[in-house]
Amino acid sequence: MLSEQLVYWAYGVGAVGALGVYFGLPKEGRPDRKGLFVLLLGATLGGLVLLLDRLLGDSANRLVFFILALLGVGGAIRVVTHPRPVYSALYFILVVLSTAALIISVGAEFLGAALVIVYAGAILVTYVFVIMLSQQSPQAGGRFASLLDYDRSAREPVWAVLAGFVLIATIAAIIVKRDWSGWEEAGAAALAKENTLHLGKMLMTEFAISVELAAVLLMVAMIGAIAVARKRIPRADDDAGALPTGEIGKTVDPF
Amino acid sequence: MAHPTALMIIGAILFGLGVTGFLTRRNMIVMFLCTEIMFQGVLVNLVAMGMMNSNLQGQVLGLFVLVIAAVEAGLGLAIVVMLYRRSGTLDAESWRGMRG
Repeated sequence: MLSEQLVYWAYGVGAVGALGVYFGLPKEGRPDRKGLFVLLLGATLGGLVLLLDRLLGDSANRLVFFILALLGVGGAIRVVTHPRPVYSALYFILVVLSTAALIISVGAEFLGAALVIVYAGAILVTYVFVIMLSQQSPQAGGRFASLLDYDRSAREPVWAVLAGFVLIATIAAIIVKRDWSGWEEAGAAALAKENTLHLGKMLMTEFAISVELAAVLLMVAMIGAIAVARKRIPRADDDAGALPTGEIGKTVDPF
Repeated sequence: MAHPTALMIIGAILFGLGVTGFLTRRNMIVMFLCTEIMFQGVLVNLVAMGMMNSNLQGQVLGLFVLVIAAVEAGLGLAIVVMLYRRSGTLDAESWRGMRG
């Protein structure tokens, strides 16, 4: 029973990964457990490679797949566990680039390119802008001396890690248990050929209304973001700017 | 070409890590970054499902997910900036009064 073994393997990898992420999360007043974190992270990623190795069989390019998968998952773990938001954003770029390469390697070229342009190009720049806009001067003291108090310690790490990794283990177990033998590589390879051409044809015929709706949605979001950002917001502890109950900010004249 | 189940495993792991980070981090910007990781997991999964059914509909849906992610990032960050200007901190715990 190959799939039964794989299910237990998935549970085991999930448990080790949960422990690793738990020890990696920042927590003030706890001794530094960087060595344990790196050890458990290595064990998790090694177990993941063995699991993927069983699933991939003898397909070509498996080495590339392993490297991209490890970069993506390792980067995501660092986004979650890194105490500094700027580094979290930089690790997120790693996640985006490896995900894009991963889906390009299975033939979704246009989606991969769009991912790099939209995420790594546009969204991440917005994130870095907001991080820079809202930097505060940190207080002194301790191992996390240069950090703000809300980055120093995680909120309910045990329950959060448990929730996330029980979800991962359950989904992974269902995926490896099911019989997916109906898949044939020829169909997927046919999709990869002239991917952008077929995707464009499909978008402009079958999904034309959805494309228009997406454009409207983007425009509404842009106007909404401008409207939200234009309001002058009084500080909560500023008595002079106190507002009547129910108002969140002062109104301004329309542009 | 890689088997779609391997891709689905990667998608599940990315989604679960995003959930963990969203629940446990207190910085609102990092919480939003974690939702973006969840979007990445969903996107990988959609591509894998499209491969499994040998059609392009998964990738089309992935493109629309990309649009939603851009909208979410724009509006969400505008709200984060507004909340930061109001309370002077990015701590999500400082809005615990909204819990009721």
